[in-house]
Amino acid sequence: MATCTGCSCLCPDIVVQAGVLNACRKGSSIFMHSKDNRAKPMVSGREVDMEVALEKATEMLSSSEKLAIYGMDTIPLEAQEVAIKLAERKEAFIDDNSTFCLGDFVEMVLRGILPSTTLDEAKSNAYVIFYWGTDPFQSLSRHMSLYTYYPRAGKRQRGYEEDRYLVVVDVRRSHTAKLAKKNARFIKVDSDDALVEGFLSTMDGRAGNYYEDTARILKEMQRGRFNVIFGGLGLKYGLKGKYEKFVEMMRKMNELAEVYFIPAGFHANMRGFNELMFEKTGFVNRYSFDTETSRPEYEFSELVRNDAIDTALVIGSDPVNSLPFDVAQKLRKKNLILIDPKLSLTSKIAEVVIPSAITGVDQGGTMVRSDGVRIKIDPLWEAEWSDRKILNELLRGVR
Amino acid sequence: MKFGKFIRKTTIGIVVVRDSLQGEVADNKFGEEFWKRSAVLYLHPEYAREMGFREGDVVELEKDGRTLRLRVLYSDTAPEEGAMMPNSIFSNFLIGENKKRFAASIAPSDGDVTEVDEIVFSNTN
Repeated sequence: MATCTGCSCLCPDIVVQAGVLNACRKGSSIFMHSKDNRAKPMVSGREVDMEVALEKATEMLSSSEKLAIYGMDTIPLEAQEVAIKLAERKEAFIDDNSTFCLGDFVEMVLRGILPSTTLDEAKSNAYVIFYWGTDPFQSLSRHMSLYTYYPRAGKRQRGYEEDRYLVVVDVRRSHTAKLAKKNARFIKVDSDDALVEGFLSTMDGRAGNYYEDTARILKEMQRGRFNVIFGGLGLKYGLKGKYEKFVEMMRKMNELAEVYFIPAGFHANMRGFNELMFEKTGFVNRYSFDTETSRPEYEFSELVRNDAIDTALVIGSDPVNSLPFDVAQKLRKKNLILIDPKLSLTSKIAEVVIPSAITGVDQGGTMVRSDGVRIKIDPLWEAEWSDRKILNELLRGVR
Repeated sequence: MKFGKFIRKTTIGIVVVRDSLQGEVADNKFGEEFWKRSAVLYLHPEYAREMGFREGDVVELEKDGRTLRLRVLYSDTAPEEGAMMPNSIFSNFLIGENKKRFAASIAPSDGDVTEVDEIVFSNTN
């Protein structure tokens, strides 16, 4: 069996033969097209030998006085560790996608502010299953079938028709919301704060916002005893960075029944990066090894916007596609080194491109699933240059 | 008759979403499939009718001086009053601090759908 690194589900049951079995659309595509559109070593837009690209990158890193290392959410822990060492050596900034993704929630889980559990526990025990601000049907296509809503497992042997209660919270009727029929609720929100306030009011014995929904859901939570809220980007941006009321809601819910939180929907090893950084520095992202602290202005986008860096080393990420345009545009003016297995929009503007490997296809390693479980990933075959080997080479050469 | 032609310009709320069909082709961002599945604006069919847009129309979105031309597609998972876009270089061309929702003005367009390279090498501020 192969493991898919298409998202933070890290599905462990993929069969790759003449075709690909068990994977979702995105996962199948990773395996089926693993040899397509591969990056080649490049310097200033010209194809070069790998050694030349590595030498040029080492030279750029050595001469940089204000370096940021960014990305790393798709590479294994073993390679992330080397990237962190490199940042430390250069007293550089280091950041990943989690600053604008679900890093805040991961941090609250790691700090014990939000009680959390594993997907395996959810599979065996969870009754009320919330998808709040996330559409797993599209973003985590096997989340519901492998771990949460559909499996018959443990104490939940009677299937989703009777043994699960689905709650979907979204600003629109998403594909996941359309599943909310029997034993389920879809709550269309304009403001996530209002729903949080609604739950708090109901638990205080007052009829507030969404009273009919909140009263019924809380009753179901008490009935089910073990419940899980999966929170996504919609929840993060809906709460506008103010989590106090949400945390209070979780605390009060836990006085009624067990209610856990698992962040839902991010890159394969984003949580791995957050955990490594947390273990080493006490922060999960946007960190400076110079000032030895984390600040909002150390977010990669802000560093680029504010011209706080001269050089960026981007690893396994495509910021030209995924960051706001003003950041992507300014990135063009920086010394940019890209390590990535595929040609990407960022490879079009990078001074140096270093081709790497795809975890689960041609490099192995360890990744951390969205619930914090560490998964060992074997490759189907070994590429000559893994992320770890490339980063070790840079670490050895950099001054 | 394209009634959308009679709409000069109005403001619309847009939700940025993940789309598995686009995710399937996201490994090749130079490919036509990625462009076709990214340079799109999904409208709820009823809302599109109210607005006067039909599937396949090209619309121009404008925000803070930046403009994009996108193909209209119908989806009953789009907001009942508003639109949605898959997360990509196209949505991030217009996005602000909130990476999930933004507002932009919308108007019919006779132009071609914006290409990836037009954004990558754009000199727009």
